[in-house]
Amino acid sequence: MIGRMRSQTEEASKFIVDWMEHRTGIVTQLEHFLYEPVPKRGAWVYTLGSAVLGLIVVQFLTGILLLFYYVPSTDHAWNSVNYIMNEAYFGQLVRGIHYWSANFLLAMIGLHMAQVFFAGGYKAPRELNWVVGVVLLLLVIGLAFTGYLLRWDQDGFWASVVGMKIGSYSPFVGGYVINFLLGGDVAGPATLSRFFALHVWLLPAAIAPFIGIHLYLLRRHGVFGSEFEYSERLAKLHERQRLEEYAGYELDDDDEDEAERNGRSNGRGE
Amino acid sequence: MVYVPAAGKSKPVEEEVITEENVYDRPDETMGFFPGQVLKDTYVFTFLIIACAVLSYAAPAPLTAPADTATVEYVPRPEWFFFFYEQMLMFFPGYALVSFGAVVVPTIFIVLLFAVPWLDRSPQHYSAISRPFATVIGILVVVIVVLNMLMAVSRIMNFPTA
Repeated sequence: MIGRMRSQTEEASKFIVDWMEHRTGIVTQLEHFLYEPVPKRGAWVYTLGSAVLGLIVVQFLTGILLLFYYVPSTDHAWNSVNYIMNEAYFGQLVRGIHYWSANFLLAMIGLHMAQVFFAGGYKAPRELNWVVGVVLLLLVIGLAFTGYLLRWDQDGFWASVVGMKIGSYSPFVGGYVINFLLGGDVAGPATLSRFFALHVWLLPAAIAPFIGIHLYLLRRHGVFGSEFEYSERLAKLHERQRLEEYAGYELDDDDEDEAERNGRSNGRGE
Repeated sequence: MVYVPAAGKSKPVEEEVITEENVYDRPDETMGFFPGQVLKDTYVFTFLIIACAVLSYAAPAPLTAPADTATVEYVPRPEWFFFFYEQMLMFFPGYALVSFGAVVVPTIFIVLLFAVPWLDRSPQHYSAISRPFATVIGILVVVIVVLNMLMAVSRIMNFPTA
């Protein structure tokens, strides 16, 4: 009865797909997104951007998990991180992934930007995607800076104090910047609350729509431009022209080469 | 949008001889985003996440002693991605120059970074070799950042406590 079962399963899955398509149009959308043609050439290079996206998603997920135990107060912040590291189930793993993926994220963003720059990926009509990318870079740097203070240990605390000191040197706006970050005259409970609000609420909420715009513009324009599309064919053309030129010079081997090449192309043509 | 089937199906059966005339007839072969590109993305991401998981036990995320707001002699270290910035400040000593090095120069750099698409407007030159000015500037920025990082690392190794 395998045949009957198979046909019934087929009908059921067809029904589900049609039902969803009729109500949401999601199947057409998925086909559009999944089967969009992308360049074969340089496929490994284009994994840098998606690695950045993946690591940001990991940051969101592990960050939410850390919030289950983390307490944003000067009395309990260090203790709660210590608890996560030593007592909580998989706490060391979750915090370790949050920490290390943040490090990889910064490195991957650097590589991604360098790749886009040296490939000329910012050229028309992709200028705005580069601008959105720089905004994302600044937001990630803000997240990296504000996250350091939250563990409330000597390194994080004093490095953040030095960082805010540097910010206070800004001409004209320095005083306002440091007042906004400190929430008082010295780094204390108010500072921790503000860094927590920035790191957990403001900056992630700001980064999400910019990631959306970045991806929308990527899908709108694709990753390769009009000249780039022919680069493989141009390379093949130049290779063939070069070989013909060499064949012209090497008079002795000419017949042999010619025969070999003919043989090969015949073999392929059949 | 034209529906293009997944990779492999659109391969021409005959090997085409590409000449000057027909090179622009049709673009390079493409592949479907799924599964070709999605698989490659998954490989890289899987490698990264496994590396994170291994490192979280091999080199646990650091946690030094609880913050003591009363100490004055503690020498903090920034994270490695701020090394080059910290090192750069060493070239702008004193009260008069520090705001220049700490804020003005980075702000100018970020403004220039935003303006890159309008600074390099050579049309249709995607290859790095065909627009040497932008490429040289880019390489210089990378070299400066990496050199500053190495200098910061060597300074920290030479003077661990100062």
